[in-house]
Amino acid sequence: MDAEAAKFMGAGIAMGVGALGPGLGLGLMIGKALESIARQPEVSGEIRTTMFIGIGVTEAVALYAFVVALILLFVA
Amino acid sequence: MTTGIQQNRCRRSIARRSLTAAALALLLVALLAGNLARLAAASESAEPTPVGEPAAGETKEEQFDVAKEFEREVLVALPSVGPVDLSITKGVAYLLITLGVICVGAFAVNRGVKMQPGRFQVMMEAIYSLTRDGIVGSVMKSGQETWFPYIGSAFVFILVSNLVGLIPLPFAEGHQLSFYSATANLNVAIMLALCTFLFTHYAGIRKNGLARYLVNWAPASAPTVLKPPIWAIHAISEIFRLVSLSVRLFANMVAGHAILAVFFAMAVVFQSFLASVVLQGGSTLIYLFEVFVAFIQAFIFAILSAVYIGGALDQDH
Repeated sequence: MDAEAAKFMGAGIAMGVGALGPGLGLGLMIGKALESIARQPEVSGEIRTTMFIGIGVTEAVALYAFVVALILLFVA
Repeated sequence: MTTGIQQNRCRRSIARRSLTAAALALLLVALLAGNLARLAAASESAEPTPVGEPAAGETKEEQFDVAKEFEREVLVALPSVGPVDLSITKGVAYLLITLGVICVGAFAVNRGVKMQPGRFQVMMEAIYSLTRDGIVGSVMKSGQETWFPYIGSAFVFILVSNLVGLIPLPFAEGHQLSFYSATANLNVAIMLALCTFLFTHYAGIRKNGLARYLVNWAPASAPTVLKPPIWAIHAISEIFRLVSLSVRLFANMVAGHAILAVFFAMAVVFQSFLASVVLQGGSTLIYLFEVFVAFIQAFIFAILSAVYIGGALDQDH
């Protein structure tokens, strides 16, 4: 495998594997938030705000993978 | 009488709605026409290549090149003052557009405040109450009045900048229409994150005093042996907040623009007119999702700024 092919493969693997964890995390978190909203609809506003903070923090992990993939493709 | 007014209002709202629908349809048709024209141009220039091998070179040229997001393309060359280069690049142009939109909006909303608010005023009031009660009020325990202006204006700036970025403007090379926004520039994102970073420590030091603020990074209830490592971890996390705040905003915008560019260039990627017509619907859905992302990113930046500043003010772990 030459260096160019390895670069492309590395970028693909970085994005794919890097999206795995945040996907699981987002699914778990939103599912739990929906559960608790269904249980206590009166605090749904607070739950939603906290959920969005969590979404932002979790999603950032996938975006780090995206940045790494970009670096592999265009900079390295 | 009332029924007449109601009918009138109903008719007007229907007219407005159909106008909006017509404008959206026009935009989509324009994008589709652009796609088809580009496809025609690509297939014309790709004529000599054999059918078995799609015109790889042509396709690659039309595709989105992320490296271009980092280039400083000077639009208006201006003299530099000392070390500061005043030339207007693409990012600066988008910053100025954002600034103009915010200023015009602020003047417009200040000029005609009515007891019975119109649609525009209701929207602005919704944004105000969202930042004031939804973000600052629900997250910060003290110092709400002091820090609401910063967090509110950061929210409005990022929101307007992201939304301006979703309008295709002719700033790409050769004045092609393209998606870009000031927040899709790493420099702007880092400066915004740096503002939050500096304000966090300024707020903490001003309220608690330098020594007590730094000592409180490790919770007082922790065992003495564990205090130094906890303090070190907290110090590292403070630095990484800077990275995560800026990279989150920047990468979200760049990824969004990349996806939009790829979807709207479907015709060229698949080398087929039919695919582009069918996938235009998908492109529209992605576009609507990007509008949602623009809002969510502004919200997350503002609420995380509020969490950080609130955490520095009230240091009870």
